Order: sequence, then C-alpha cells, then structure tokens
Amino acid sequence: MQDIYEAELPSEVPNEDDAEENSDSYSQLVWQRFSRSRAAIVGGLMVLMLFILALFPEFFSPYDFYATKLGDSYIPPSEIRFIDVDGNFQLRPFVYKSELVIDPVTYQAKPVVDTEDPHYIHFFVRSWEYKLFGFITTDLHLFGLANDEVRAHILGTDRFGRDLWGRICLAGRVSLSLSILAALIAIVIGSSVGVISGYYGGAIDNVIQRFVEVVMSFPELPLWMALAAVIPKTWSSGQIFLVMAFIFPFLRWAVLAREVRGKVLSLRETDFILAAKEQGAGDFRIIFKHLYPNVLSHVIVILTLMIPDIILAEAFLSFLGIGIQEPLTSWGFLMKSAQSLETLGQNTWILTPVLFIVVAVLGLNFLGDGLRDAADPYSNL
Amino acid sequence: MSDIEAENSKRDIILKVKDLKMHFPLRQGMLQRQVGAIKAVDGISFELREQEVMGLVGESGCGKTTVGRALLRLYDPTDGEVLFHKRDGDWVDVAKLNRKEMKNLRKEMRMIFQDPFSSLNPRLTVRDLIAEPLVIHGLASGGEITARVAQLMNAVGLKPAYMGRYPHEFSGGQRQRIGVARTLALNPRLIVADEPVSALDVSVQAQVLNLLQNLKDDYRLTFIFISHDLSVVEHICDRIAVMYVGNLVEVAPTDELLRNPRHPYTEALVSAVPPADPLIKMERVILEGDVPSPANPPSGCVFHPRCRYAQDICTREVPPLLEIAPGHSARCHFAEELELQGVANVQLP
Repeated sequence: MQDIYEAELPSEVPNEDDAEENSDSYSQLVWQRFSRSRAAIVGGLMVLMLFILALFPEFFSPYDFYATKLGDSYIPPSEIRFIDVDGNFQLRPFVYKSELVIDPVTYQAKPVVDTEDPHYIHFFVRSWEYKLFGFITTDLHLFGLANDEVRAHILGTDRFGRDLWGRICLAGRVSLSLSILAALIAIVIGSSVGVISGYYGGAIDNVIQRFVEVVMSFPELPLWMALAAVIPKTWSSGQIFLVMAFIFPFLRWAVLAREVRGKVLSLRETDFILAAKEQGAGDFRIIFKHLYPNVLSHVIVILTLMIPDIILAEAFLSFLGIGIQEPLTSWGFLMKSAQSLETLGQNTWILTPVLFIVVAVLGLNFLGDGLRDAADPYSNL
Repeated sequence: MSDIEAENSKRDIILKVKDLKMHFPLRQGMLQRQVGAIKAVDGISFELREQEVMGLVGESGCGKTTVGRALLRLYDPTDGEVLFHKRDGDWVDVAKLNRKEMKNLRKEMRMIFQDPFSSLNPRLTVRDLIAEPLVIHGLASGGEITARVAQLMNAVGLKPAYMGRYPHEFSGGQRQRIGVARTLALNPRLIVADEPVSALDVSVQAQVLNLLQNLKDDYRLTFIFISHDLSVVEHICDRIAVMYVGNLVEVAPTDELLRNPRHPYTEALVSAVPPADPLIKMERVILEGDVPSPANPPSGCVFHPRCRYAQDICTREVPPLLEIAPGHSARCHFAEELELQGVANVQLP
C-alpha cells in the first residue's frame, strides 16, 4: 500500500515571504470589533483608570491613609484654585489655608479661609514613605504641598481625619480584587460544572441540573448576610477577605453553570466535535481543545458582567458593617459612617465613594456589553 | 464493464457488514422510560473489496449517514457484525472493539464529513486542524508536523502557505479540501465519505469529486460514498447500494443499476436523474406520500405504501434481498417480473 508521505516533498514550503499570509488571530479579530464600539472603549478606560488607582493607592494619596489625625476629623474637600483673591490667574493650582470654626449660634463647623498666602500644589513630590507592592521602598507621590501645616484634602477627610481620596484609592484595591476573585471562583466552579453536565449528559446532567435549580431558588441576600455575619470578628482581615471572596460565588456559579451547559449541549452535537471523536480524541482533549475554547468567549463576558454585581453586593454588606473589617477598607465600608443621618447631613462628601462604585459598575457593564458583541467575530463573516 | 468486475473480484475483501442494526431508543417522561425505538438501520449486509468505491444512496432520513457512523463506531451498533480486514492481515469485528482498540483502528478507517462549515473547529488554524489526528495518535512531533501538514495540503490542492489561516477564511470547496487532508493524515485504507459534496456549489462539487477520484487512484483507497444524489454517485462509484428506511433495497454495479433497476424505488430514483441528452424522453416516476417513520415502519415490504406495483403479498411479507443476477440483488417480491425503466445511455468513465 502506498503511503501518502512517500510522495515527494512539497516544492512549496512556507517561507518568510508568506508570513503575512497568516491571518489575524482570534484575539485580533475580537479587538477589531471591540474597538468599533465607543461605549465599550469608554467603559474599558473607566475600568482601567480605577485599576491604576487601586494598584498604586499610596502614589496617588498625598497623606498616609493609615495615620489618624483626630483634629482633622470631617474636613470638607479643599477648594483647588487657579485664581487668587485679587483675581490673578496662576498656572500652578493652589489652596488657601482653611480652618474649621464653630459657629457660636448654630454650633456648626464652618471653614474659615485664610487668603493671605497661597499654598501651591506640587507634583511628583516626596513625602511619606511606603512600600510599593510591599517591597519597593519609596516616598514618591503624585501631588502634595510643600509643608505639612496646610493640607489639601481634595475629597475631604473621614471621622479619623484620614484623607478620603487616599482611602478611596485604597478601598478600590479591596473592592475590585475581592469582586474579581469572587467572580473568578464563580466562573471556575460554574464552567466546570456546566461543561461536565453538558458534555456527559444523561443521568449526570439530570442530577446536576436539579441541584442547580435548588441553588438558584435560594434567596441570595439573606444567605450572604447570614454567612458574612457568622465570620468571627477575631479573624484576621486577610482571612475575612478570603471568606468573603468565597461567600459571593456561593450561589452565583449556578446561573453560569446553566448557561455553559446550554452552550456545551449545542456544541456537543456539532460536526467538529463528532470529527474530533472520529479522529480518536479522548474526552479530555475534546473538552479542553474543542469545547471550552468555544465557550470561553461567553464565559469572559459573564465574568465582566458578574464583577459589578459583586461590587454592589460587597458595598451593601460592608455598608451594613457585616463585610470587610478594619484595617481593610472597601468603597461600601467607607460609607459606613453615612448610616447616621446627622453625620451625613453635615458631611455630605463622605458619600463620594458612591461615584467610584457607579464608575466601576458602569465601566464594567459597558466593557462586558462590548465584549459580548465582539466575542463572536465569525458571526457576520 | 465486465473487466472492472473481474478485476474487482480478484481483490481482497476489506469490509464485511453482516446484519448491522442501529436502533435509537425513544424515551419519554420524567423517568426516561423507553417507549420504542427508531430503527434507523435495520439489518443491512454488504461486502466491500479493496479499492472499490461503493455508493450508498437514498432519501434523507433513510439511515445512510447512520450506517457510516455506525461503521466507524461514532454510534455503537445495536446488533450485527462489521468485519474489517486490517493492514496486518487480521480480521476484527469493529462493532465489538473497546475504546483503545478502536482508537488504533481509526488510523485505517476514516470519515469525511458532510458540512465543511460545521465540521472544522473555528478556533483552530488549518495547520492545527490537519495536524490534530497526527498529534492524537502520536505520529509526528515538532517540525515534522508542519512538514507533513504541508505535504497533505499539497496533496489536496491547497497552498501550504495558508497553514496559519482559520477555516472561516476559506471557501466551501477549500474547507472540504481541509477536511479531506485531515482524513488522509493517518494514511487510511477505508474512507467513509458522508455526502462530501452535497453542501457545495455544483461547480465546486466536480472539483472535489475529481480530487477524491485522484486520491483514490494515487493512494489506493477504498470508499463508501454516501449521497442522496445519484448523479454525483454515478461518476465515482463502482457499485451502488440503495437504502430505504433502514434497509438496503438494491445493490448492483453502477451502470447495471442505472440501466436496469430491479426495485421500484430505484426506478423512481433513477428517473429523477436528468438524462445527459435532451432528446431522450423519460417517464418521470413520482413517488406519492412520505418516507415512513423508522420508529413505526409499515408491515411487509417497507416500500409498499408508495409502490405503484404493490400487491397483496407486499403488505404482508417482508421480501428478502435476493441475488437476481451476478452481483445484482434486490429486495422485491417481483424483482424478476417487473419491467422497470432505467437510464437510456449512461456514460461511464
């Protein structure tokens, strides 16, 4: 019997000139379609911005966000000025020294501005020392004032006199990493269960789907609250963080498992899966080489849409005080003091973390929608 | 014609199918109780010699694709034997092999799929698609894979330079060539081609058919060529088997079957093929009714509700597949009596 490989070697072997014949990879195609959507790009930039803030909170914060200064409790946001009292425009932004004076009649704290000399804001200044990523010691900061007597709190301070802007950057680190970790856990569990259920089918599928239905019918919020409430307060903040990251996926994986199962069920019947079987491919190869890559785009979309959900849920629990504990902080936790109407009425700026939550949720939703449209670049080809 | 037959009969038998049955259970209700079975293939037998091309034709839903898949164990046959003569000379019953033995046998028996659009994983490059069988069976590694893929692409008429492309960048005909290259990768002896051209444009059909014909001659392949289109099959097949509702109704050498059909169903199929000469007037046999459900086939001869020659006996007794002439069998009570119309002039290559 003649062997196909006994045939002559092809005269035409791919050479360098043909390199450009190679087509766009899947990710390039996705990017092409993704970049066509303006909302998705804006969403992506919003998310990117928050990630940068959360990655380098010490750099963006002019003051040590762990150091309390009780005298500076609830200072309203400083006014950043370009025009001085005489009406002259200054290129460099500055602040005036302001002090809180208690009104003798109403007992309200009111800022009194001392317009004598401007205190200029400098960029890339060196002030308090910190460890970047925990091991690079540096004291570089984005902005700050020349001396520490006058402070510029662009978003005001909290009850303990800590700079709220710096705290928000720091809180972003916890809020984002916690929700991403939780969403990843949900994705891993959900897609594994979904692939197994869809691929093997039959009795396994039946049992798993009935279980998923039970999980999905569970009331989410009370369960989260109950689980978060039973975490011993004596645990370290790291432990609490990890446990929280496992509480949120507790029920969330079920929805994903169902969606992935549906996708796998329809893919399982396609000819290319049959062709893989015909080639002698084992289950492992079929699942990881053929099924999962075709489900992955869908999973990534769900991931981006699940993160904002968890950000909101975490903010809610932390606001109620049953989530993250000091010294960690999250956007929801920062607003905990806003529970008291009196405090909120006098210090409205303590709600600014809401803006960041809104930006994060909107940004991730835009990003997810853009990805959803871009995930299947072959659909209109 | 007789030369071809004589030559064929000298060759060794490569495949013997005996009473192959493929029933799919029908399940209902919460407990998935079995309430019946779809008898997609209900006892077919045939033999295939080396380098022979046998066509398997029939309407859609008659079970021809199921036969192909059951032969390759993509489905586990309900009953029957599929004896395959391996390269090393041993006979094996494909229907009874375990997973590991079957994996080994897949090097010798391969399949070409019908739809070149859905049978190629969109996330893999052409190189990965063609190389996959080589990787699965551990037949090549590293740079050797690329060299072999280039050889295969040349063999099917594709430029190896396009190796890094994705299937969606190719036309239907090119995609089917990718599928053929993938099938050839393991150097098979028997190929089940499941309607390999039915998803393609007519002009491209001819190209792919010629490619298969050339590959068959070059690499001494044996083909089972599944199709619903007699005009496609007549070009490439030495022998044609006609299927109807899970049964073979007629098996004969191609020109014998077309000129001299002995089963009323074959007559209807043949009359649907337009004659090559417009001056030839043929009576078009139009079948009434629908193909019966394989879950609930009619009594007696499965074709009797649509047969214009049906008589009492047809509703009661199942006719056997009888050899009426050397190499020509038909499953009809009146196979030797009926005067059936064939094609007036068949041009064989």
